[in-house]
Amino acid sequence: MKSFWSLNGLAGTWPACQIFPSRTLAVQLPISRFSTSATLQARKGKGGPKKDKRIVLIRYFLNHPRTPRPLRFSRLRALRHWAIHRAWNLYKAKQRDREERDLERMYNSMRLACEELRQIGENGMPGGKDEGRLYRVAMEKRNIWQGAPIEYARIQTDWPSKSGWNHEWKRG
Amino acid sequence: MEASVRLLHRYEMSATQHTLRRAFTAQAHPAKGVICRSCRAGIVRRHASSSAAAAEAAPAPEINILAEQIPRTAEHIPKAAPAVTQSYQMRAGVVLSRPPQITRDLTPFEKSFFLYQRRLNERLALPFTRYFYFRKDTPADIQYKRRVKERQTPARDIGKYNAYGAEGWNDELLVGAVESEPEHQMQELLKDAEEPTKEEETATSLEQPMPRITEADKLNDQKSLNRLLQRTLYLLVQNQQGRWVFPNDILQGRENLHMAAERVLVQTGGINMNTWVVGNAPIGYYKFDLLKPVVDGPNQVLGEKVFFMKARIMAGQADLATNLFGLKDFKWLSGEELQTHVSPLYWKSVRGMILER
Repeated sequence: MKSFWSLNGLAGTWPACQIFPSRTLAVQLPISRFSTSATLQARKGKGGPKKDKRIVLIRYFLNHPRTPRPLRFSRLRALRHWAIHRAWNLYKAKQRDREERDLERMYNSMRLACEELRQIGENGMPGGKDEGRLYRVAMEKRNIWQGAPIEYARIQTDWPSKSGWNHEWKRG
Repeated sequence: MEASVRLLHRYEMSATQHTLRRAFTAQAHPAKGVICRSCRAGIVRRHASSSAAAAEAAPAPEINILAEQIPRTAEHIPKAAPAVTQSYQMRAGVVLSRPPQITRDLTPFEKSFFLYQRRLNERLALPFTRYFYFRKDTPADIQYKRRVKERQTPARDIGKYNAYGAEGWNDELLVGAVESEPEHQMQELLKDAEEPTKEEETATSLEQPMPRITEADKLNDQKSLNRLLQRTLYLLVQNQQGRWVFPNDILQGRENLHMAAERVLVQTGGINMNTWVVGNAPIGYYKFDLLKPVVDGPNQVLGEKVFFMKARIMAGQADLATNLFGLKDFKWLSGEELQTHVSPLYWKSVRGMILER
């Protein structure tokens, strides 16, 4: 058998049985090609057009004879897998529920505060000509992202930074 | 004649009623209970938001005149209320928080489930395309072969498992297996990267990531922002009375809550904090009623209302040396610690703003 590397550039002509000799096919099926255009016959002595080795390799591995891999479970194992799957779904549902309630709690807190603010004036009591002024200002959405520091977009990492929190930060 | 008298009478009645109504409208039914209920129902209602306090301040001589003129209705009309205004002290508070810096700890179930999934994936995945990544007979290739022979799988952090072998079915681990620990997986990855790619190279030890439990955690240094990296920390200050509260101050002049929050931050913790007040709307409020109103001239202060604004800290540390409110101490606390520091009443109105994590 030819070695694998000597086959470079001849991918279009590979029969599957040359690469996997253990697997014998009654009918040798051609491996599907990347390009749908007609492959030119090789000229005598010159070889075909030069093929990219990487593409050849990708084609080789994508057409691996062991795909798709079967996932075979015994009866008890399948049952166990089902139980694990159900447990995970339940766990996620509970987690989602908890997060939603957390958000709801914060929303309610905001709503109550805004409602209180809407009904009172500058002296903290209902009425007066400036009743609801603070509320009106609080509801403004103009420029609310102004001055948002870039660090606000920092995402959480699995491991903390080497320098830790910058306690020594100075303005200006 | 009689008819005209009756007409006149009716005219007079309606006129007096009209005057009365106007008088009451001007006075705008002060506190409940001063006027009887039926009268109040009869009087034109002002807008629901009309203020009792403002009405009480208004003089009521007109009513007295009316009371003399119409003795029948006089019993319904109260004496002139004392010109006292009531008010609440309006305050703006800041809930300054440090967001979590690292991801949360996984639960044991999550850990084992993730490893279970990764091993299943190993069973389903195509064989590793070695020649695509390593040129044949290069040191890297030899290295790779040696490692794979040892761990039997191209995946570096799922433990010793060969999905293609005869034992491929045996992909499950026992409870508490060390392979499912993130710490162990990280060490495996590091070990893999540490070894030299060429044999002549000496192994360069990679630096370990910083531990998730910091020094401040061990010392329980509640002033440090390096503590409890997976939790949100909130700035709490101890005021002159010794109570732990969020930084707050009276609203001054015509400033709005956002401006007040920014001012309070600077006046509490100094300028060396990189903070950002999120949004214009308050995220919660705390109302405190005094047992006995504090009389301040014509004004009665019934208590205080604190509206909290949300703020984030990005860098820096609070410094109470220059604070204007006579604050004694500050702490960076998580939600649970916060609950043990503040009064139950305060916690009740504040807990809606505190995140679970």
